[in-house]
Amino acid sequence: MLQSTILKTNQLSKYFPGVIANENVDFLLYKGEVHCLFGENGAGKSTLCSCLFGYHKPDSGRIELDGKLVKFRSPGDAIKCGIGMVHQHFVLVDDFTVLENIIVGTNSEKWTLDLEKSENELRSICHEYEIDLKFNSLVRDLSVGEQQWVEILKSLYLDAEILILDEPTAVLTPEESKKLFNIIGKMSKNGISIILISHKISEVMQADRVSVMSKGKLINTISPKDTTPQELTNMMVGREVTLRVKENKDIKTTTSSKPLLSVKKLNYLNKYKKFALNNVDLELRSGEILGLAGVSGNGQKELFDALSGNLVPDSGTIIYDGEEIQGKSSRYYMDLGIGLIPDDRYREGLIGDFSISENTILGWQRDQKYNKNYFLNHKYIKKFAEDLIKQFNVIAPNATVPVNYLSGGNAQKVILAREFSHSNKILLANQPTRGLDLGIIEYVYEQIKLKREEGFAILLASEELEDLINICDRISVISDGEIRGTVVAQSTSIQEIGLLMTGQVETVT
Amino acid sequence: MIRVERRIEVNNSWVIIMYLSACIVGFLLTSLLLWLSGADISKAFYALYKGSMSNQKTILNSLSKATPLILTGLATVVAFRAQVWSIGQEGQVYSGAMSAYMASLMFYGLPVWIYLSLIITFGALGGALLGALSAVLKNRFNVNEIISTVMLNYIIIFFLSYMVGGGPWTGVGDQALIYSQSNPVDDTAKLPFLFDSKKLHFGFVLAIVSVLVCHVLINHTPFGYEIRAMGHNSVALKYRGTNTKKTLLYLMILSGAIAGLAGVSEIFGTNHSLRGDTLVGLGFTGIIVGMIGGLTPIGTLVAGVVFGGLASGSVYMKIIAKVPGTLVPTMEGIFLLTFLIAGVASHYKIVGFKRDV
Amino acid sequence: MSELFQEAVIISILAGTFRVMTPILFAAIGELVTQRAGIWNMGVEGTMIMGAFTSYMVATTTGSLYLAVLAGIFSGMIMGLITAFMIATVRVDHFITGLGLNLLVGGLTLFWFRLYTGGGYAPTFTSLGNFPIPILSSIPIIGDIFFKQKLLTYVAFLSVPAVWYFLYRTRWGLEIRCLGENPKALDIKGLNVVLRQYVAILIGSSFTGLGGAFLMLAFSDRFQPDLTAGKGWLAIVAIIAGKWLPKGVFIAVLVFAFLGSVAVHVQILDIDIPYQIFLALPYLASIILLIGLRKRISQPAKLGVPYFR
Repeated sequence: MLQSTILKTNQLSKYFPGVIANENVDFLLYKGEVHCLFGENGAGKSTLCSCLFGYHKPDSGRIELDGKLVKFRSPGDAIKCGIGMVHQHFVLVDDFTVLENIIVGTNSEKWTLDLEKSENELRSICHEYEIDLKFNSLVRDLSVGEQQWVEILKSLYLDAEILILDEPTAVLTPEESKKLFNIIGKMSKNGISIILISHKISEVMQADRVSVMSKGKLINTISPKDTTPQELTNMMVGREVTLRVKENKDIKTTTSSKPLLSVKKLNYLNKYKKFALNNVDLELRSGEILGLAGVSGNGQKELFDALSGNLVPDSGTIIYDGEEIQGKSSRYYMDLGIGLIPDDRYREGLIGDFSISENTILGWQRDQKYNKNYFLNHKYIKKFAEDLIKQFNVIAPNATVPVNYLSGGNAQKVILAREFSHSNKILLANQPTRGLDLGIIEYVYEQIKLKREEGFAILLASEELEDLINICDRISVISDGEIRGTVVAQSTSIQEIGLLMTGQVETVT
Repeated sequence: MIRVERRIEVNNSWVIIMYLSACIVGFLLTSLLLWLSGADISKAFYALYKGSMSNQKTILNSLSKATPLILTGLATVVAFRAQVWSIGQEGQVYSGAMSAYMASLMFYGLPVWIYLSLIITFGALGGALLGALSAVLKNRFNVNEIISTVMLNYIIIFFLSYMVGGGPWTGVGDQALIYSQSNPVDDTAKLPFLFDSKKLHFGFVLAIVSVLVCHVLINHTPFGYEIRAMGHNSVALKYRGTNTKKTLLYLMILSGAIAGLAGVSEIFGTNHSLRGDTLVGLGFTGIIVGMIGGLTPIGTLVAGVVFGGLASGSVYMKIIAKVPGTLVPTMEGIFLLTFLIAGVASHYKIVGFKRDV
Repeated sequence: MSELFQEAVIISILAGTFRVMTPILFAAIGELVTQRAGIWNMGVEGTMIMGAFTSYMVATTTGSLYLAVLAGIFSGMIMGLITAFMIATVRVDHFITGLGLNLLVGGLTLFWFRLYTGGGYAPTFTSLGNFPIPILSSIPIIGDIFFKQKLLTYVAFLSVPAVWYFLYRTRWGLEIRCLGENPKALDIKGLNVVLRQYVAILIGSSFTGLGGAFLMLAFSDRFQPDLTAGKGWLAIVAIIAGKWLPKGVFIAVLVFAFLGSVAVHVQILDIDIPYQIFLALPYLASIILLIGLRKRISQPAKLGVPYFR
């Protein structure tokens, strides 16, 4: 069957200060195909798409749509040419309805809002793709999967012929992902061309063709039928790498069976009066890594906040060493030796404009270790930071540069360095490897495993189920604020965890 | 439309160029205003110079006028560094002046050093009280500090207006009635003069000490660390164990206390009677001084001295060059804008001129 | 004190309420649009002074009140342009910009005023006259309170439903509300965020300039430096107290204006209570109002957050 090219780039390059994001990329998209962009974080997939979408302007090279040269000055131009994009982090207005989110900025004829006409148009689109949404619902009341439909509808409403999806399943349960791929299949059959950005090999294998990107370059475009997952991963990393499939478990250190930190029946209603935490029971034991599996937004944040003293639960108890500590301040938790690696590292874990030195003592600025006679001991703090930089291999010119200058991975290392130096019993890690390169991901997991050997009780939340199965001893599955079950890592599988997430298996303890 | 991007590295020489440009542009704009108003530009600037630093008398006068501005500038620095937009300096000055005056009535007759110490202390407490009030309103009731401080300013100003304009502290005699002021303070309550001058008083010492205290506090103590951290990212500070509500309260107490000292300085050092019209604007000008000083104590000292010189020289400008004294507040506003722009230009750069952003 | 409760006085207080309300309402309803677009324009006070001052200058030089009102609106737009440049283009912090502009305008108007009067008398003009509505103004009591106001007062009242319609029933209003909640949503659709921010700020500052003009033209016959005395700030408080809704803003401004009107009458009637208490009442009331609201603040999500792509 002859494939017609609908979109292609020619030697496209894009630079950001200090970074080569895309270099001489030749990309080809056929009409009606599902084309996957595969690569690590920072490989250039998102940048390429942002150029295709008109959000950024390429520094050199050309983009051709239907054989004609196009220059997008803004997303508006791209949208007019029929290109739509669904971003990884949704761009929706929580307090608007579904309808308002879709039509805002679109009606260019009348100055009054013509809701009825728009509703009818949307209804036929929803019917076509079997999307079930109430147009009057507020976006904040929707599930994540439904919110993604709104994002997709935004483009379909404007008759998009090319749709770019950026890591769409990162925030979906396995069930929702299946539904999404159904919709994608239908769109493809209707002649809409799909560019799918993904780092999950399982999704890549479902596409019609895949382009592998690495370090800003497009390495190869190939059909999954003609290759294997191993080959693709090698292309992506540029060297032979063992896929992180289930490996033999490490020899487990002895764990005490008495919990160091136990959580009983923790409840918390969020500001929208929904259960963010619903009767949560957990136990953290010394020398053990407890995994927390689930898509972000299911209560992990609230749980970690409660366990670090940053959230007062409505009911339930947190018991440490026989003492009830729920509701106490973050200071209290820190003094107990509980370290926290927050998921929002720049907002909650670092002061971007402060130097590395100052960040290494964040929270401990009043500690007598860092003070001499009520004044900060700058020399000591600097030495302390320099030792940590060396120990954790933080790539930085010196200890006085602001943390904002560092890459995400190195900034994360600063947090690790600080928390490891100041905690001594318990470590809470919320999505510690999100957005980091493979190399640093390995490093972070190594460090966490070392802490386990030292006897720490560790809670590790992650969206990467494979990583959890490899690293953890036990895994609890959280969904909609409830613990759906806790399994032993060695004897579970991704399928079982997926089923627990969607409530299709009896809760296991 | 202009597109801007945050600079990754801040080049020190670029920063200096920016601020120098701000000074130059400021002077150019001022000259423009002078020209528009029909004054002789060179005469005006000469008068400014003559009135602010030509001999010992004028220098001391400049420093004396700088004193309250340095203090209110410091009050601004302490708050703004934490991104607490307290505009309450104006009211805290009044509050400090009134508390000090109350102390001067209450403790009359005590030995001079004790008497003066109490007056100064009460003045600081008066300002601190107002600052604390704003902090409590924010901590407990989530009331925006800009609004609470502005509202409190008006309330306090009206309160003073009542106390010396018909209320219990109103002075005796026609002069007092016309100018709404209290009786003159007793000789024992006057702050001692420095250097045999009739203008520069002990308040200046308080200002210098405050500069040093603030400098050390902000840069070399854990409390200062917290203030600076609050200004950059209060969320992270709160997340990792610091009680930011307490930090807010303490820094507002400090800010208010320093501003209160400005009130003491004006009433007991310069004017020697409690009146509102000499206190007007000290707080607001202090905001400008603090901001032009780059929100640092040392910078505030420099800016305060400069503004004091301007104030001192403006009298000469009026006499010699016939320029309205109100040129000075205008100059202050102009320099504020140019310095603000310079500040932004130091940290951001223009990436391109595009038709669409 | 009992003088306050005579019928004529009550009518006067109520009628005065609507008069006092007008400038604050203009500023508040205009600033509401700006704030719903996510921008804290703290320079309301300064814009009002500017509007008052320029309308004074025009009124005394040309003698035309129409031109004076237009001058007020126009000066508001200029202030808006400067504010928008600082906030939307250069992306200075919202609060600093507004405060800086207030300080600048305070000094500037003082300077100009002294220049204009040359230190001598301030020229005067005839202030705005009333515009009684035919028939309705003849109704006893009600007519005196409601229908013998100045023309601009009626305009101010009409502007409330007008702004409501604009925000909730037009596509531009939807876009402006979107700006305040999530500007990226508009940017990603290819719409010019900065342009819309300019428009929102200009709408707000034009209204505020108009309010300043009214403050000058309707209440006295010459300019005084402290004319606005915090009314711009009361407008901002009214928006917060009104939970960023046109209806709420109207009610909040009404309360403040009522207290202000009482204060004026206490002063006139020379009652034996210090008039300063009544002058301070609106400001005290606003603090108490804000205390009462506490956690139930429902401001636009991205209010005060500069938007960078």
